[in-house]
Amino acid sequence: MRQVLLIAQKEIKVALREKLVVSMGAVTLLLLGVALYAGYVSYQQQKEIITKTQTEKRKEWLNQGDKHPHIAAHYGTFVFKSKTVLSLFDFGLDAYTGTSVYLEAHYQHGFMFRPAQDHTSMIRFGELSAALVLQVLVPLLIIFLAFGAFTRERESGTLKLLMSQGISFRILTWGKIVAYGIILAVVLLPFVAGIFILSVSGIRQEVIPDVAFRALLLVLIYSVYLWLFISFSVWISLRSATGRNALLTLLACWMFFAVLMPKTVANLSESFYSLPSMREFRARIQEDKRNGLDGKTPRSVRMARLEKEYLEKYRVDSVQQLPFNFEGVSMQAGEEHGNKVYDHHLGKLRETFHRQNRLSSIASLFNPYLAVQHLSMALSGTDMHTFIHFEEEVEGYRRELVRKMNNDMAENSRYGEFYGYKAQSDLWQEIDDFTYQTPTAPVLLQLYHLEILSLLFWMMSVFVLLNYSNRKMKPLHG
Amino acid sequence: MDKTTQTLIRYEWKSFIRNRFQLLMLAAAFVFGMYAIYYGQSEINGQRQTIEAVTALEQKEFFEYKASFREELTTLEAEQTHDIASRPAYAWYRHGYHAILPPHDYAPLAIGQRDLFRYYYRLTGMSLHYQLFENELANPVNLMAGNFDLSFVLIYLFPLLIIAFCYGLFSAERENGTLALLQIQSVSIRKIILVRLAFYFMMVTGLALLISSIGLLTSGNPLAEENRLPAAAWITGVAAYCAFWFGLMFLIVSFRKNSSFNAISAAGCWLVFLIVVPALLNVLVTTKFPLSSTTLAGLMRRTSLENENDEEEAREVVMEFLAHTPKLAGSDSLLNNNLLSKAYAAFTSLKDINSKEAVDRYMAQVIRRNKWGARFHWLSPAINMQNLQTKMAKTDLHTFLLFHKALANFHESITDFYFSRLFWDKPIRQEDYSNLPVFEMPEIQDRWDAIRIGLSKIMLMAVLAFGIGYVKMK
Repeated sequence: MRQVLLIAQKEIKVALREKLVVSMGAVTLLLLGVALYAGYVSYQQQKEIITKTQTEKRKEWLNQGDKHPHIAAHYGTFVFKSKTVLSLFDFGLDAYTGTSVYLEAHYQHGFMFRPAQDHTSMIRFGELSAALVLQVLVPLLIIFLAFGAFTRERESGTLKLLMSQGISFRILTWGKIVAYGIILAVVLLPFVAGIFILSVSGIRQEVIPDVAFRALLLVLIYSVYLWLFISFSVWISLRSATGRNALLTLLACWMFFAVLMPKTVANLSESFYSLPSMREFRARIQEDKRNGLDGKTPRSVRMARLEKEYLEKYRVDSVQQLPFNFEGVSMQAGEEHGNKVYDHHLGKLRETFHRQNRLSSIASLFNPYLAVQHLSMALSGTDMHTFIHFEEEVEGYRRELVRKMNNDMAENSRYGEFYGYKAQSDLWQEIDDFTYQTPTAPVLLQLYHLEILSLLFWMMSVFVLLNYSNRKMKPLHG
Repeated sequence: MDKTTQTLIRYEWKSFIRNRFQLLMLAAAFVFGMYAIYYGQSEINGQRQTIEAVTALEQKEFFEYKASFREELTTLEAEQTHDIASRPAYAWYRHGYHAILPPHDYAPLAIGQRDLFRYYYRLTGMSLHYQLFENELANPVNLMAGNFDLSFVLIYLFPLLIIAFCYGLFSAERENGTLALLQIQSVSIRKIILVRLAFYFMMVTGLALLISSIGLLTSGNPLAEENRLPAAAWITGVAAYCAFWFGLMFLIVSFRKNSSFNAISAAGCWLVFLIVVPALLNVLVTTKFPLSSTTLAGLMRRTSLENENDEEEAREVVMEFLAHTPKLAGSDSLLNNNLLSKAYAAFTSLKDINSKEAVDRYMAQVIRRNKWGARFHWLSPAINMQNLQTKMAKTDLHTFLLFHKALANFHESITDFYFSRLFWDKPIRQEDYSNLPVFEMPEIQDRWDAIRIGLSKIMLMAVLAFGIGYVKMK
């Protein structure tokens, strides 16, 4: 152990002498700082606007005046997607998921306004977030730092000297890994602390229920990820004859993992499982709403059936004799039918999304970058699953709102007198304001078992590789 | 070409074809290029199919309207169709027109923002903003990953190829021990390096141009009127962009450091131009010019008259609308016919008039933030190149902003067409169907100026990098 630390100490000294690497490290740190600061600013800006607008819309709903409940259901309300506090660390899909939705009767509006639409195509290069720095830039820094771990000793002939002193490859390897680990830990520590303080302190009404736990998990997965890169780089260096070869191999791997593969997988998934156009999607829903999911029960048949059912149940001859307004009941039945049709088609659409994204989950088994990217987004609450969860909560809220309006109409209005009845603000009050909380991290992570498996698998493989090579290496060949 | 140059090229060629790894890289770049062209074309063809489908639907709709004037109205359904076809009170909100932004022939090569924006809208005379904000279906994960189009291959991958070929131009000689041999020759080191650089420039740029030509030829006829200029600009751009990276490599090599230093510096430059600068600019644009679409979301709300039985309210709404619409001045004498339809039409139009300012302000802010961002394009030839290619292929933000503007104009001509009949109590006649509103997409005004300036910036940077290297190499 003492020897390991000794080696580590020497390695840190050498690393600090490399001016190019030190200056790149400084730039990376600066970028990390800028990224976090910018993330924080934009989180604050969005949060402020969204809270303000949400309150406004709530007021509009409450003060909409006296009107028929069904008109109120069409007047509807709005929900805006609020940023999670951890999104200041990883923007994830935030630029590409819609941000606001209009809720009204009969019709499920899609989420509107993807923030990326307000940018030129430059946005497709990506936005600078702390996650981007840690996922893409820091590994590159590690490569620059570690590619010469063994080749430098080999090229300057010190490897043989070390061996002749009785140092084993195992000690040398771990000494170097520990050295790079310490350098990174020291450099990144302030940022880890910063994120912790930001994410835990003074944040009320947060949409993530378990911020501290998630932050901890983030630290964990990024530690694993960066450790993987360090060990892998040292291993490549161990196996390479010259520094040049080690560097090129590592750069090629980095390029493949971080740039080429993610895009290719996403594009292939798009080719394998194609999406319908919005027009087709809406047309199919329209068609099935009209004729029923089986294509054989049009609205008139469904309504007649419903009417008959109610007349028999209450033993009356006409709907006017029912003790409530049948229009409210039929309205709600129509709503539920619409929901069923919508769920059917949305289910199919989500299935396609799921299949597309599953491809990159599988690919993450071969690519730790993808695994960390997915896990990081998930923990920051900016991933696809959190968005779908949010969408579902919003739709549930809409349904509840419409149902209450229809029930009120059934209970309080009279058949055929649409403008005769007006509900008042006490009914509007009955609808609670929309609030949202993401699922907790353990629930969410169950959907990411492939990614977790990938990190474990890579950790094990790197261990095995290091051990194997440490045993087999002969210094004389170096 | 003198004798020594010929000799140099001959030997470079020999070592080039012996290096399997280099050949493999070129082959891989070619394959990626082909895949990118294929991918781009299949994406855009999907959009073309959607466009065909919606166009067919519109034609069918209007064919039925027209037919209802000629046929005998025997069934109830036929009568209803004829009512919709001939009575403006129904027609104004039932007739749907598609405004379509067809892809440019070269859109498959640089998909740009085309997967993010809608390229077709069905508009009726109803409130414009109610019809404008629905997004196209898309998987956000794939939107974030971006497109593997030819533009990506050229902008991201070719610089790497250039780095791989050139980083050891000088240092490898020293590391292999051949430098001393070269130094005792009568040819200067600078000349040797230059000839070798030129050799690889021909190879790599040649490959880039070959792939580009295949892309240009298979995506459209480069000699067609609207393709000629973009094709030429594309080719020029690719050559200039490659030249820039070769110039940069020459500059790095001219410091005469070792191979690892060169590789690290070159990879660092790649990182700065392709990841750091754009990512930084994006986040600055976002925070410096915050935009909140929440203001626009409210425009979606479906509202209507307070009470459809209240004639007084209906009359007031119509009068307010007419005050805004000089074209219809005087039609208030006919107010009482079809009052409710008129009131409804007036109501949605008033909504548009009232929300126009908010939308305009938002769009102006979008333009302002991106203008600011564009001021820094020169920092990275990669951003510049991507921006130019999307401009050439008409897949850039500006095209879509212009499309939005054109949509508003189109909507106005639709409402003009129907409201002039609705408010003057005139039916829609069969011959009116030859005068239906038509969508027109204006040409982008200063597109070619921007492309010219952008291209010269890349060339200038290439010359600059090369010039400094040339002086330094002496």
